Amino acid sequence: MFGITLSDLLYRRRQFLIATLGAGLVFAMTLLLAGLVAGFGVEIDQTVSGFRADAWVVKAGSSGRISSLAPMAGSTVLRVSRTPGVSGAAPVVVIPQTADVDGALHQVNLVGAPVGSVPARQPLAGGAQVTGPGQAVVDQRLGVGVGGRVSVGGHGFTVVGVTSDRTLLGGVPNMYVTLREAQVAAFEGAGLISAVVVTGMPSTVPTGLTVMSNAQIDRASLQQMATAVSSINNSKLFMWAIAAVIVASLVYVTALERTRDFAVLKALGASSGALYVGLALQAVLVALIAAAFAAVLAQFMVGVFAQPVDVPLSAYIVLPVSAVLVGLLSSLIALRRAVAADPAKAFAG
Amino acid sequence: MGDLEVRDLTVEFDSGGYRVRPLDHLSLDGDDGQLVVLLGPSGCGKTTLLSCLAGLLRPTAGSVTVRGIDVGGLGGTELGDYRRRTVGVVFQAFNLLASLSARKNVMVPMTLAGIGRREAGERADELLARVALSERASHRPGQLSGGQQQRVAIARALVHDPPLVVADEPTAHLDHIQVEGILVLLRELAAPGRMVVVSTHDDRITHIADRVIELAPQFSDADRADEEVRLAGGTTLFEQGDRGSLVYEVQEGSVEIFRSRSDGTTEVLAAIGPGNYFGEIGPMLNLPRSASARAEVDTVLTAMTIRSFRTRFPLTVADARNTGT
Repeated sequence: MFGITLSDLLYRRRQFLIATLGAGLVFAMTLLLAGLVAGFGVEIDQTVSGFRADAWVVKAGSSGRISSLAPMAGSTVLRVSRTPGVSGAAPVVVIPQTADVDGALHQVNLVGAPVGSVPARQPLAGGAQVTGPGQAVVDQRLGVGVGGRVSVGGHGFTVVGVTSDRTLLGGVPNMYVTLREAQVAAFEGAGLISAVVVTGMPSTVPTGLTVMSNAQIDRASLQQMATAVSSINNSKLFMWAIAAVIVASLVYVTALERTRDFAVLKALGASSGALYVGLALQAVLVALIAAAFAAVLAQFMVGVFAQPVDVPLSAYIVLPVSAVLVGLLSSLIALRRAVAADPAKAFAG
Repeated sequence: MGDLEVRDLTVEFDSGGYRVRPLDHLSLDGDDGQLVVLLGPSGCGKTTLLSCLAGLLRPTAGSVTVRGIDVGGLGGTELGDYRRRTVGVVFQAFNLLASLSARKNVMVPMTLAGIGRREAGERADELLARVALSERASHRPGQLSGGQQQRVAIARALVHDPPLVVADEPTAHLDHIQVEGILVLLRELAAPGRMVVVSTHDDRITHIADRVIELAPQFSDADRADEEVRLAGGTTLFEQGDRGSLVYEVQEGSVEIFRSRSDGTTEVLAAIGPGNYFGEIGPMLNLPRSASARAEVDTVLTAMTIRSFRTRFPLTVADARNTGT
């Protein structure tokens, strides 16, 4: 039956090719959506780990979401630095702002840290670190190169360095400036900070503060994207359904066209089960070929998205398994055709 | 006991809401080595009979026995084995799988029977050589002529060397040169160890047959004189599915023409009164009656042959009074 199935698939190769392309595009979209969801986590992890902190000291009761930490007094850093177990402490401000680049407005995550401090020294893709007021290091997703000008809250900055993969909130680029300038932009000059990033591990923390690990900051920040993640995951389900419909349409049309073949095969001794296995095999093959096509296509489509897309390995593993399920489910629509095929119909002229 | 015994075979099925009975208590016999020809016009039940012989259609009543096997009593695996091993089928429209080469088409029944690829391939080559198609083995049906496709279909029917081969209108789609080749081949196949049953409406085949069975018998009463028929009210003259050679004209009384539906109800088509006739279509076209006729009251009819009817009613079937029976 396998040989007959393969021969039929080759015979109707144009039909199958069209369905494979259609299902492949949809499968590629599911991979990219998985990549988008994973991208949210990856960008948070990259930004958080970029501070090279062992722990974060934040205001007690703060959500831990990195871009919306509750502000606290700048003097907190002194108290934290004296805490046993802390070998280094640096204040940071992280706050979403609107940046003006040549008259075009862009969302940025403004990050302020003392010049030369550990959190201020981000790995650069080009240029140099911030050494004083009026300078900024921006992520390349902002589209401003070294020497470019960016304005935030009426303050002008010259871009001196560019980072790669330093974004939050679905591709919003980070912009690193001095702590003081971030406080001016975010808190109208008040000496407030978002968090104290520490090296070492504080054994206790002053009253009104709490310690969070990088992982806790990651999780809390990702929670901020929960709605988007949920929507994307729902879209993935729709994509699977569309792929199933495409493959099912193909298999059903094939079954309609092969009604006479089924009758003849039954007249020659084939069972209904064998006929169904042949149809299911075709559906699974189409789905698997579409999955392979999607895996390649997704590589080229990643660049189309403004947000970070990081397709996880698990998505590539799940895809063929899901494709087989899609194929099997799709073939069920043709099951009745195979079972109902009347061998006596083979005699019809 | 013959190798093929058909006894009181009746097949009824639903067709557009009406009960149709293409075979009505048919009995026939065939012996090993014979070429049996089933002769008759379209609609006389030839294909239905072949379907029963091939185990593809379960009869409503009666029996088919092939080499002692009661085909109607088979089911499941046994029926599958019968279809694979005991009977080879040659279909009217060839029915080759368009996606497969001639060789692979011949291999299909062997593949379905679980025979290994190499063995099946060798057997297919052997059979294609037998039907003189070795050089076309790799061609798909679309690349073969009708006659060549029919040869492939015959080779496919022979893969398990079945004792019974049935062929439905094997010359229907062929030109005269191809017809000759196929008939010679079928004649050769009907040899000790195998019986070949061929259905056709082409009476040329009868000249090479060992046995001819006419499924639509010709009536030999063309010169019969008209006769008067008296029916008491409620008496049925003929029933739907019956065969008959006479047309009736109502002299007195009334005849109801009705058709039986599949759900057991009846549909009245017409009430025929004095001066009108009915029952002409079946005899003229050699088809079974498509409706029943019953006297509504005490009725007097004139029964006449087709020849007499054509003389008396030259307008024949175009006449508005015809009832389609």
